[in-house]
Amino acid sequence: MTVRAMIIDDSRAMRSILRRILTGLEFETSEAGHGQEALDQLTAGPVPDLCLVDWNMPVMDGYTFITQVRANPAWRNVTLMMVTTESEQSQIVRALAAGAHEYVIKPFTPDAIVEKLEILGLTSKGIPA
Amino acid sequence: MSVAAPELTDVQAIVEQVWSSFLGEAEPLLPQPVPAGAPFPAEDAWSAAITVNGTDGGWSGMVTVELAEKVAFSLTAEMLGVEDVEDGDVADAVGELVNMIGGNIKSLMPGPSALSLPVVAAGRAAHSSEAVEVARFDGLWIGQPVRVSVHVTSIGEN
Repeated sequence: MTVRAMIIDDSRAMRSILRRILTGLEFETSEAGHGQEALDQLTAGPVPDLCLVDWNMPVMDGYTFITQVRANPAWRNVTLMMVTTESEQSQIVRALAAGAHEYVIKPFTPDAIVEKLEILGLTSKGIPA
Repeated sequence: MSVAAPELTDVQAIVEQVWSSFLGEAEPLLPQPVPAGAPFPAEDAWSAAITVNGTDGGWSGMVTVELAEKVAFSLTAEMLGVEDVEDGDVADAVGELVNMIGGNIKSLMPGPSALSLPVVAAGRAAHSSEAVEVARFDGLWIGQPVRVSVHVTSIGEN
């Protein structure tokens, strides 16, 4: 089954980097530039299997997005992975407590993303070429 | 009074890690020491800034990135995975660059603090007259200059 992933980041460059990694793993991808846009897409459907979420974004930040997703039982199966420059332990704990399943600190390598996806059981494939 | 500042070796390590993660190892970023006070050695430049706003005693400062125009366009093309880029693409990519560098420098310093959204401009970086440079990394990438600076607004506040 194809994994549907939504990339939520205000940087087009970062969305492009993540999209290339995920499409190399044959994921279907969609994108949003901030948390509110992502919530709108979730509401409209289809609901993705995975969201990769930046923390610092305009309009709605990634932490607020995660709390909103976790507050809606209809989205309980969505796997949430923070991908952010916020690397303080307190921030990591806060995001995980709010419902994030994994946490990746920028900068990252494609291997780091794939490793986290494997931990989450979302892929068993290797690094995209 | 001493000034709270990240170590230059830490700043350099962060910059090199960002560079190698997203731009590969084929064209490394080479340290290029430049005398203190020397202007950024490129006429056409792009710059970006991000601020760390400390609360309850947390560290505050500003991180700026200055890039020769050729560097800015080349790294944007690399990050986007395309050959032709426009100014809006460069603003986006350079903003993400300073976001990553600034976020990792923030993690070196005492918190709590919050990171601003990045500000990007075509041209040299501008600083407040009260800003004090506390760390600076100069390098060369594709033969063109790159500078990352850390400033604090006021010595007395840090």
